[in-house]
Amino acid sequence: MADQASDVLKDYQAMAQQSWDAWTRYLQQQAASVASPYSVPPAHAGEDLLARSMAALKGYGDWLQGAVGSGLGQSPTDWQQPLQQLFASLGGQPFAHAFAAIDSEAAHSFTQLWQSWLQANQSGLAGFKFDLEHLAAFGYTRERQLQQQKLAAAMQEYLDWAGKYQALVQRANSEGFERLQARLAELADSTRQIESLKALYDLWVDGAEDAYAQIALSEEFRHVYGEMVNAQGRLRQLQQQQLEALCRELGMPTRSEVSSLGKRVHELRREMRDREAAQAPDEIAALRAEVALLKRQLAGTPAAAAKATAKKAAPRSSKREHEKEAVVRRVKPAASAAARKTLVRGATRTRK
Amino acid sequence: MFPPVRLDPAALMGEVAAFQRKLAAGIDNLKHQSEPEYANTPREAVYREDKLTLWHMKGQGKPTAKTPTLIVYALVNTVWMTDLQEDRSLVRSLLEQGEDIYLLDWGYPDGADRWLTLDDYINGYLDRCVDAVRKAAGVDAVNLLGICQGGTFSLCYAAIHGAKVKNLITMVTPVDFQTPDNMLSSWARDMNVDLFVDTMGNIPAELLNWVYLTLKPIRLNQQKYVGLVDILDNPRELQNFLRMERWIFDSPDQAGEAFREFIKAFYQQNQLVKGEVVIGGKPVDLGLITQPVLNIFAEQDHLVPPDASRALGRHVGTSDYTQLAFKGGHIGIYVSGRAQREVPPAIHQWLSTRN
Repeated sequence: MADQASDVLKDYQAMAQQSWDAWTRYLQQQAASVASPYSVPPAHAGEDLLARSMAALKGYGDWLQGAVGSGLGQSPTDWQQPLQQLFASLGGQPFAHAFAAIDSEAAHSFTQLWQSWLQANQSGLAGFKFDLEHLAAFGYTRERQLQQQKLAAAMQEYLDWAGKYQALVQRANSEGFERLQARLAELADSTRQIESLKALYDLWVDGAEDAYAQIALSEEFRHVYGEMVNAQGRLRQLQQQQLEALCRELGMPTRSEVSSLGKRVHELRREMRDREAAQAPDEIAALRAEVALLKRQLAGTPAAAAKATAKKAAPRSSKREHEKEAVVRRVKPAASAAARKTLVRGATRTRK
Repeated sequence: MFPPVRLDPAALMGEVAAFQRKLAAGIDNLKHQSEPEYANTPREAVYREDKLTLWHMKGQGKPTAKTPTLIVYALVNTVWMTDLQEDRSLVRSLLEQGEDIYLLDWGYPDGADRWLTLDDYINGYLDRCVDAVRKAAGVDAVNLLGICQGGTFSLCYAAIHGAKVKNLITMVTPVDFQTPDNMLSSWARDMNVDLFVDTMGNIPAELLNWVYLTLKPIRLNQQKYVGLVDILDNPRELQNFLRMERWIFDSPDQAGEAFREFIKAFYQQNQLVKGEVVIGGKPVDLGLITQPVLNIFAEQDHLVPPDASRALGRHVGTSDYTQLAFKGGHIGIYVSGRAQREVPPAIHQWLSTRN
């Protein structure tokens, strides 16, 4: 029996390996065909895309494979220990898998910015160490030393906050498993049972997301998240200052120069539109004046004089009656509209 | 009392093997998929400016509605969510019911749009689009249908340019930006948005997508793709899935200045409900919105919590206010089967008694 189970497991593992290999080949082709000419570094772009695309499914596939060997289901009563082992076998990092799947060039700014920056600046940063800020700066390169110290301090600060952020995410990970256990305990009091790995996985996802949401909405998370983003901004700002200095030395236009030009063009366009808008009322005023002139001219004709006489003869009370009616008209819509103020749930409307 | 986990070893092996088989077979189906198309309802461009296009959507017959409706989408993602696929299109459903529909497609901002402000978007682009619709339809005022951030824009617009708005519909629109369950708002609160925009310029779409995905990291980055394996052998379902993926990740960058202003005034200072928003020197007072308002929100919305939308009823000045709660999420309100049955008819019915 044991040999039979072992054979099945071997067969499964062989099949799983074939499946992943096929997907790997497929995704490598995809990555090669869509690789941007600006990707950096091109030699690793395909592998990087591949890793990101595969992370989600691979994470689940690993979990399934772990379930096969965990002993889950072999004893109807002793399920808790295999379950614990199964989730521990993920390295306690299911959230890390999920985050790895969405890593991208833009998201680098949050998670891997410092790594790519270091790679890009390796030649200029030989011997660069994070404890540079402790050294007093002096000599011909004093200013550059100070810049590097600031950069090193900013980088360390960013890493500190990123570490705190990761710690909170990790807490959600462990609390997610605790919630799964609690949900399973609740099931023990009902007739519902988990009869598939997918159902078990879905239950875990529910627990993990609930745990994450609670942490992600906390004051602590808000503070850490904000500080991580701000530390990254300060680091980026220093990087840009260094890059701008380099561009100036090379006689190249800088980002701030281009931005400044863009801002001026934008201000000019706004000014132009404001002037156009200001001219529009003048045009209307001119048209109004023309209409008034025409009316005056018409008033001088015999027909207009007869009309004016008839208007004078009308009873004085009619104007008051007209005003009264206008008041009623203003009130009526408001009163009827108040009655129409409704609250609707689903497609059924209930009037208040 | 039963053990909560009852996994039969043979069934377990079968489940895992079935997953791997589907996964392996699915590669071939993915290889033969073309880029999924949106519904592409026939349309005509009636106004263009910079990156934006104002589309007049064309139905099978002539519209019966006297007042045209302009759909104002958010700056994030694209307006094609409202015309995603033939059998899941808010636009098509409204056209079929006789509405006259215009879409504001904001386009994809680039570096040249870095300095666009909320004033440019609301008192500029949006106002000129409203004028273009008024001119094309020969009316003094139009219906506005604002979606998400586009709903917030529509509210600001209606408060400032009330004479040009006949009826106002808001869908999944944030009004109170600081309800306790608003995760995006919580994350934005301690952010130095000046430093962020000064160093980023325009905000990359990929970065925003990353933020949205981290609102529900396991569900959106793993569970969704585990579910994909189950439909790999169903070409129609697979196309629908890939179309949605296209829409989710085909998103524009955000113009830096407008982003800065929006985050500060709305997310960080919650100025809309305090009556403190000023756009281009013009104060935004929701109390000045006296047109009929239909406010539709989703009960399971993780981006704009229902309470963030419900708040509109307490602040809007109109005495003709209707609220519609939809059982679904932020996206489901446009594309789910339930949405097709409930939302467009509700909008049409509401409009038909007010046009």
